[in-house]
Order: sequence, then C-alpha cells, then structure tokens
Amino acid sequence: MTPAPAFPEIAVVDLQVCDRCGLCLPLCPPAAIHLDLTDLVVDQTACTGCRKCIAPCPVGALTMVAA
Amino acid sequence: MTHDTDVLVIGAGPGGAVAAWEAKRAAPELDVVLLERDARVGTPVRCAEGVGDAGVREFADPDGAAWAARKITRVVFIAPDDTEVKVAERDVGWILDRTRFDAFLADRAVAVGAELRVSTEAAGMTCEPDGRWRVRLRAAGGETTCRARVVIGTDGVEAMVGRWAGLETRVPARDMESCAQYVVEGIDFDPDAIYLQFGAGIAPGGYAWLFPKSPGVANVGLGLVALKADARNARQYLDAWIARRYPGGAKTACTVGGVIVHTTIRQTYTDGVLVAGDAAHMINPLSGGGIVNAMKAGRLAGCVAAAAIRAGDTSASRLSAYHAEWMALLGDDHLKYYRLKRALEDLDDQFFNSLARTVNAIPSGKRTLGRIFAHALVRHPQLIPVAARFFI
Repeated sequence: MTPAPAFPEIAVVDLQVCDRCGLCLPLCPPAAIHLDLTDLVVDQTACTGCRKCIAPCPVGALTMVAA
Repeated sequence: MTHDTDVLVIGAGPGGAVAAWEAKRAAPELDVVLLERDARVGTPVRCAEGVGDAGVREFADPDGAAWAARKITRVVFIAPDDTEVKVAERDVGWILDRTRFDAFLADRAVAVGAELRVSTEAAGMTCEPDGRWRVRLRAAGGETTCRARVVIGTDGVEAMVGRWAGLETRVPARDMESCAQYVVEGIDFDPDAIYLQFGAGIAPGGYAWLFPKSPGVANVGLGLVALKADARNARQYLDAWIARRYPGGAKTACTVGGVIVHTTIRQTYTDGVLVAGDAAHMINPLSGGGIVNAMKAGRLAGCVAAAAIRAGDTSASRLSAYHAEWMALLGDDHLKYYRLKRALEDLDDQFFNSLARTVNAIPSGKRTLGRIFAHALVRHPQLIPVAARFFI
C-alpha cells in the first residue's frame, strides 16, 4: 500500500518543452527542482505543490499534476 | 515518405549554416540539407550578440554589413562596488543583429546549393544496418523521414542529436548558467563600449552585461549559476540590476536561456554523426561566448563530413579527425579557461574591488593584459594559485 501523498498536486517538467534556462530553480521554496546534469527534474517527495514555479516558466514546461 | 541525403545538418544557427556551406563547397556533388525548427532562421534571438573582430572576419566582413549592428572598441569592467576599469582601445569586436546574421549565413549555404527546410524539427533518429541514420522529421504537413550518411548536430543547448547518437552531452548543474536579457531603450552609455559587471549580489557565478546596439539602445542581461542564487531567478536579478544602474530605461523583448559554461564533450563524433557548437559545449567557459566557436566547429565538421562521404567511410574512426582538429584549434584552450573559471570562483567581491583599483593605477595607455597580469600578481598574492591553476 502506498502512503497518501502529502500534497494533492505536484509540479512536473516536460523535458521536450523545457529550455533549461533555470529560471525556476531559485524560486522553489523547498528546492525541489534540480538540474540533474542538464535535465531539470522535480523531486516529487519534496515538492509542496506551491505553484511558485509555474507562471515564471517562459515556455510553459512546468505543469501541476495530481500527486 | 523517405528522402535520402548525404549530409543532414540539424539546427540552422551559425554553426549549422557554416557546416552546410562548407560541406557543399568542399564537395558540390553531395546533397546537403539544413533543418531549422523555427519558421524563420535567426528568430527568436536568444543571445547577447557579441563577437570578437578577428573571429567573425574568418567568416565574413563586418564592415558596412547589414548584420553588424555596432562596432565595439572598448571594454569596461565594473567591479562589484561600481569601480569602472577600461581595458582596451582597439578593434575589440562587434555586436551582431543575429536575426540578419543567421539569415545571411543560411542564405550563403543555400546559394552554394544546400537545401534549407524551415519549420521542420528533428524528432528522433536511429541507425540503419548500412550505417545511415534514419531521422524522423516533424513539420506542419506531418511526419516524414530522412536518411543521411552523416548527421551534423548543431541543435544548441538541448543537444538532442548527440543524445540520440549515444554521446554524453549532459553537464553538471554548476556549469549551467541561467541567463536573462532585455533590449533596453533610452539609457545613457558609451555606445562604442561593452560593459561587464561582476559580483555575488549582482550575478553570482556569472556576470551582468550591457552590449550596445545603437546609441541609447542595448542588450542588457546577466547570467548566473542557479545553485548560487538566493531566492531570486536570473530575471529578478536582472530587474534589480537595471533598476539600480539604468533606472530610466524602457525594457523590451525579454529573452531567457541556459548557457553551458563547461568544456567540450569528451566525444563529439560517432558513426555517421558529428556535433558542433553549443550542442557540443564548445563555449568559452569564461566569457560564455559561443558564436564564433560554433562557426569554427561547423567549418571543421562540414569539411570532415564531406571528405568522409567522398572516401566512402563515415565511421567513427574516420570522423574522429574532426574532434582532434577542434581540440587543437580551441578545445584544449577551453580546458585551461575552465580551470581559470573554477579558480576565480574562490575569490570574493572584495578581491575584485581591490583588483579594479590596482588596474586603474596603471596609466590607461599602458593597460595591456600582460601588464595588468603582472601588477595583479604582485599586489594580490591570492591570484598566484589562480594563475598556477591556469597554466597546469
């Protein structure tokens, strides 16, 4: 049985769309977004679903999905 | 529908356009196709548009050219405490109009017989038993495939061609700079100079720049290492910098992007594939500049690809000549610049403030790089380990 998610929604990055500009990185309060080498990834266990990264993304690569 | 070509160049920036041009010039009997994802070559511009004078002249004459926005004859370094240091007074470089410059280079490739296809994106590729690459192409009309003897990947920071070909194109996060830039109008500056400011509070791990496009109008931007930033991103750091230094300016055309400040990837070739420019991390890791580097690499890639196809051997061992030529031309220098960059990261704002005052004590007519270096080493012994890391 998987534990209930801590937050109802989390952010995900579409790597086909992401420009790797890194604007979202410093905006994440729990620092859940990382550059895994050149790929941007969101640590799903750390994302609090605060949405602070969504609007600043210039290419709309970040979206919220159900946790 | 499948289309066959000899050389397929993916990405029509400066590196790709020069690669297509050189391949066709070296072997006019070959079919050369140049792909561009966007509807027009040269747009959108995601670049500060600065090039060195000698570098650009290897490819085209900037004097009077429509694609040369501004000639630059001075460089002004600004210390974190706003102390300004002017260091050059000669033909330093040019600020390009990249929309026109990229189109000029692509037109030149077309003029010698290369085929340009815009609004066409490469979506993936696989190697066939006969050694050709089958590349899936996505355009408005749907998906097609193109088989190529040699694929040249000049697809920029995303570097998908290299990845599809199995090359290691990723870099550590600390070597990715996050950049933001506006075209700012109505501000006061010396239109013959570029301005560069360093500082942990201004652009941590990078620098802020002003590159003039015409009197009163400039590309104003900065790059920073996101890992070193506070809770603000590059655009917010830039807004703060502009508010402080150019409060009256009107900001237009914001662009953002990642710049890889690393060293050339370990292997830039494999069977039937070459990668060049930003896609192969051929960026000066100190300056973040990559336009001329991409063109130089594109030239090598185009010539090596053409010769390999003529010889009937597009194997990795044949194409490795490209890597060796690039490393001898600039790649090995970038390894040194990268060591210098890492060493400079250990120095703080106070050091740069006091270095600026040391350099300003040298009469401006005598401010050669060698003399600056000698003075700096004597007055600032903390530079000695930096210099040592540069040379070993």
